[in-house]
Amino acid sequence: MTTITATIPARARHLLASEWIKLRSVRSTYLTLLFAAVAAVSIGYLVTHADASHWATMTEQARASFDPVSDSFSGFGLAELAFGALGVLAISSEYATGLIRTTFAAVPRRRAVLAAKAAVVGALTLIAGELTAFATFFAGQQALSAQHLDVTLAHPGALRGVLAAGFYLAVTAWVGLGLGAVIRHTAGAITAMAAVVFLLPQIVHALPAPWDVQIGKYTLDMAAQQTIAQHPAPGYFSAGPSLLIVAAYAAAAIAAAAFVITRRDA
Amino acid sequence: MIEVRELTKRYGSAVAVDGLSFTVRPGRVTGFLGPNGAGKSTTMRVILGLDAPTAGWATVNGQPYQRLARPLHQAGALLDAGAVHGGHTARDHLLAIAASNGIGPRRVTEVLGLVGLDSAAGRRVRGFSLGMKQRLGIAAALLGDPPVLMFDEPVNGLDPEGIAWIRGLLKSLAGEGRTVLVSSHLMSEMALTADHLVVIGRGRLVADAPIDEFVRQSSRHDVMVRSACDGDLAGLLAARGAKVTAEPDGGLAVTGLDAAAIGETASAHHIALHELTPRHASLEEAFMELTKDSVEYHADAPGYAGKAA
Repeated sequence: MTTITATIPARARHLLASEWIKLRSVRSTYLTLLFAAVAAVSIGYLVTHADASHWATMTEQARASFDPVSDSFSGFGLAELAFGALGVLAISSEYATGLIRTTFAAVPRRRAVLAAKAAVVGALTLIAGELTAFATFFAGQQALSAQHLDVTLAHPGALRGVLAAGFYLAVTAWVGLGLGAVIRHTAGAITAMAAVVFLLPQIVHALPAPWDVQIGKYTLDMAAQQTIAQHPAPGYFSAGPSLLIVAAYAAAAIAAAAFVITRRDA
Repeated sequence: MIEVRELTKRYGSAVAVDGLSFTVRPGRVTGFLGPNGAGKSTTMRVILGLDAPTAGWATVNGQPYQRLARPLHQAGALLDAGAVHGGHTARDHLLAIAASNGIGPRRVTEVLGLVGLDSAAGRRVRGFSLGMKQRLGIAAALLGDPPVLMFDEPVNGLDPEGIAWIRGLLKSLAGEGRTVLVSSHLMSEMALTADHLVVIGRGRLVADAPIDEFVRQSSRHDVMVRSACDGDLAGLLAARGAKVTAEPDGGLAVTGLDAAAIGETASAHHIALHELTPRHASLEEAFMELTKDSVEYHADAPGYAGKAA
């Protein structure tokens, strides 16, 4: 740790330390991550377990399109919401209390503060997200093994899918952080984050063909699904371009925050 | 040193600060006084670079605040004691602020001791009383041992012991040669703490003077006199060089003659006096007199502005 941090300029190191103290010293950080992991693993296990038990009665078509990797991430919705909320709270709690003024008085370079928050939130949620993704994957494969439907990480596309699932969780936290900085109210920002992650893809999904896919492939959730799936759904981008779309959501949210953060009174 | 020049801040159509200029010098406590809504907090936020001025500028130690490197070493501020994350402990709250300016945990322990919060350092801030939060906010302001300090209404919510502590702290900080700016809407509080006063009303400068001069200039000394025939008495007193004005509720306000001279004049002309009262305006009244045109929200209370002696 010290050898890594020694290469970072002192001012950046101070900011990262400051933001890390803020994040690590509130209980809600751990509770949120724990809730997300438990929800993802347990719901994923239940869904894969149910699919394994119904395997005998499934149609040929359903069996052909069955994806053991995607299936284990069926319960990821709550985890996405929790990670997104963690990102929102990392900055909206400062606006809500007025602490942001103390923060900006101590560090007038607001974009540097935002960058440090994005780095700290990103690092923590990426590690927690990957741990959650791997745990979810192994739990799901355990349930599927009853019908010998399980795959290992060595299976083509499986490792990429699991890593992408963990990355998706970190992205929802970044989207939350960006929206939190732009909206500055916890409830409003969490609503907006949920709209981007859940509502928007559903609305687009309900559009008449071909718009459901033509627009849908650019929505965060559908793009993320393609990065997790072993084979992309027909009409959607493959894993590589979809990963860029997922990352673009994080970048856009942080960029929007960087744009407004210096233009408004604190 | 803090300099504010021709500062104007508008929020939409509302003018919070209007062409305000003043200088806060080191080595003394400068009281920043004005009724609620006068623009004190806005001015402080602009000084700290939190709000952008519509026009004019403010500097701290000769530089715009945003240009200060490690600003906690240049200026410390307490704006709002409630601006803390309830889930943080007092120590973590200070550690996070300190770390951003490269200040270590040892100094955090020191300032916790300075404000008397050592025993509460490990407690979460959500359980703190307002007084404890004020102390925590002051601890944060002191982290960088800065030459400039700004406190917005620091005595709000404090018990008498806490108020006495703040007064002593402000005086000792100024005594060490620091620049200390303290806002308040209470003249009586400033009279006990400040050496110099900057008074604003509706965003404009009303007075900028040492507190002694302020008292001398704005205090009113006169004599209230009532008699059976005010008209005659007014003429007699005026003839002796007094300035006489009729009070709205009857009686005369006399300046330039003391009570003894007025009484002797009346006696010499066989005028019976019903009342003869020397009056001194208190500092509080002087403040209200100065800012009466600039109070944002008036309560229509007839007689409230009356001069209790």
